[in-house]
Amino acid sequence: MSKEYNIDKIAERINRIEDVLASVAAGDLDARINAEAEDDLSGIEAAIDLLIDDLTDELKQREKMQKEVEDKLSKIQEQQKTILQQQADLLELSSPVSKVWDNVLILPVIGTLDSQRTQVMMENLLEKIVETGCTISILDITGVPTVDTQVANHLLKTVTSARLLGAECIISGISPAIAQTIVHLGIDLSTIKTKATLQDAMIFAMKQNKRSENVKLQSLFTSSDEKEE
Amino acid sequence: MLGLTSDINWETLSKHLIDSENNIVEVRQLVRYHAKQLSMGIIDQTRITTAVSELLRNMYNYGGGGEVLIEKGIVDDKISLIITCTDHGSGIEDLELAMSDGYTSGNGMGYGLPGAKRLVDRFEIKSELNMGTIVRVMKWK
Ligand SMILES: Nc1ncnc2c1ncn2[C@@H]1O[C@H](COP(=O)(O)OP(=O)(O)OP(=O)(O)O)[C@@H](O)[C@H]1O
Ligand SMILES: [Mg+2]
Repeated sequence: MSKEYNIDKIAERINRIEDVLASVAAGDLDARINAEAEDDLSGIEAAIDLLIDDLTDELKQREKMQKEVEDKLSKIQEQQKTILQQQADLLELSSPVSKVWDNVLILPVIGTLDSQRTQVMMENLLEKIVETGCTISILDITGVPTVDTQVANHLLKTVTSARLLGAECIISGISPAIAQTIVHLGIDLSTIKTKATLQDAMIFAMKQNKRSENVKLQSLFTSSDEKEE
Repeated sequence: MLGLTSDINWETLSKHLIDSENNIVEVRQLVRYHAKQLSMGIIDQTRITTAVSELLRNMYNYGGGGEVLIEKGIVDDKISLIITCTDHGSGIEDLELAMSDGYTSGNGMGYGLPGAKRLVDRFEIKSELNMGTIVRVMKWK
């Protein structure tokens, strides 16, 4: 069977194909040929439309993925910023020195004592000793999981510095496991006053306080006695 | 490395690079985790963790950082945690001196190496000047 082909009509359809392809190439993914006739050419036209459909899907998928990656990246960057900020905050937070009792300072240490933190901690404690004139400070290390030679060294230095400022430093919260480990390491902490728990340390501090008050009172009495005589 | 106890049947648990103080803390936590997994008690966990902490700090302070290998395996018929620290730093000139209590070339206490040795069940060290240092410690379950 032979078909009648209208040359003009065909030229027009080929032009349309060219237009659509050009539009797609230029980025218009909505362009389609939408063939109406049913003949040899319409197969090609439909195939081209399908191809554009696939291409559109593919591109959309890729755009979506790229957007997701970008979103994730910016989220991670944001998280990183938060973490850095928190680290800075923690450095401050992790060395809160507070005066809990007349003459007694407490510094609870939690987490890992790296050199940077220890430095901040030591400075805070010494400053507070000078500022308050407290003569007893308790360093509670219940929250420190590992005491190695470096940490022990830092603790010893802190205690010695506090002593130079006229404050006795008690270390509390050394667990049995850590106590044993310190002994095996060979570190001598016998020059430091240590207490098993924070409670023990506080009781000790209060007794010490009372004693020094008694001494003060006594000297007050003796001096007034002397005056009367 | 020649002269260190080793066994192809040991199972690698993890490997790490040490190049910052943060790494030291992370690896230390992992060692404690693995010790716990081997159902070691709290005292043994603390011992091996502290010993490794000493080695990592030395590696970071004197060896310019390095690698850590955590393994599990049988040594002398005993299930053990095996930790190997390798660096490519200056090496130790006088091992006997470095292993003695109170010796430090910096401003430490000088108890890291001898202390770590006392904390573990087996301690092996090899060091070559300008080549680096390798320390392998083991703790039986
Ligand atoms: N990985 C290493 N590379 C090079 N030198 C090392 C290494 N490990 C230790 N040393 C040397 O051995 C010495 C003793 O080490 P050790 O760990 O016993 O003490 P420290 O690190 O000086 O002090 P501490 O560990 O008590 O804080 C060090 O001062 C250092 O000179
Ligand atoms: Mg050391």
